[in-house]
Amino acid sequence: MARMKFLCDADRCIECNACVTACKNEHDVPWGINRRRVVTINDGKPGERSVSMACMHCTDAPCAAVCPVDCFYTTADAVVLHSKDLCIGCGYCFYACPFGAPQYPRVGNFGSRGKMDKCTFCAAGPEEDSTEIEYAKYGANRLAEGKLPLCAEMCSTKSLLAGDGEIIAAIYKERVTQRGYGSGAWGWQTAYRETINV
Amino acid sequence: MQEKKQTAMNRRNFLRAFGGASTTAVAAVTLSPGEAQAYDPGEEETRARYRETEHVKAFYRVNGYETLKK
Repeated sequence: MARMKFLCDADRCIECNACVTACKNEHDVPWGINRRRVVTINDGKPGERSVSMACMHCTDAPCAAVCPVDCFYTTADAVVLHSKDLCIGCGYCFYACPFGAPQYPRVGNFGSRGKMDKCTFCAAGPEEDSTEIEYAKYGANRLAEGKLPLCAEMCSTKSLLAGDGEIIAAIYKERVTQRGYGSGAWGWQTAYRETINV
Repeated sequence: MQEKKQTAMNRRNFLRAFGGASTTAVAAVTLSPGEAQAYDPGEEETRARYRETEHVKAFYRVNGYETLKK
């Protein structure tokens, strides 16, 4: 059984934020919530690196481990989803998540935050596939349509990979084998001269 | 006076009896809680949605253009 994974090739990410915008548009994500974000380190300095982050659909998800109402579940293709009908907006999952993936529509404590919202790997939620009620709660269900997450599909530099973990790992491995990694990657010497060590 | 006293006693007896009954009922509920029910999504919710369609194959092909074309 294929296991769904995201992989961001940080040597290719140019911090265009198109993945963030595409996600918000595809799922009609409300103001104040970003299911995906681009994190940049050493911003503006040589060796600057960007990586696109969202829910990484952990194998042993810490959000699910701490949820007091046990609203998380993992699908057969290893996507971590949750039920907004059960979520009480306590915020525990936000503290547990190492990637800061869970988001809340309102500012406040406990239930006043509203229902938690996060990346669904474009697989929506427990409602019936591709229905209006599912879209309203969780956004589009592209996986059920035979597609992959839109953020990865429209990445202009082919930085963000999504899909069967084994296949995208093979793609990345081959890239690294051919071009090198970090300062050894092609393009770095041209852009930052050979003296830059990353 | 005697009649009034009798009425008061009845009321108190009633409250005492009612209060006792309520306490017993609460205790019964407290002492026999149901099993905690964790959310158990059915097979339909957890089934795999991923399919290796032509659309998905095209994504792999385009992303692995440097490597998988061999």
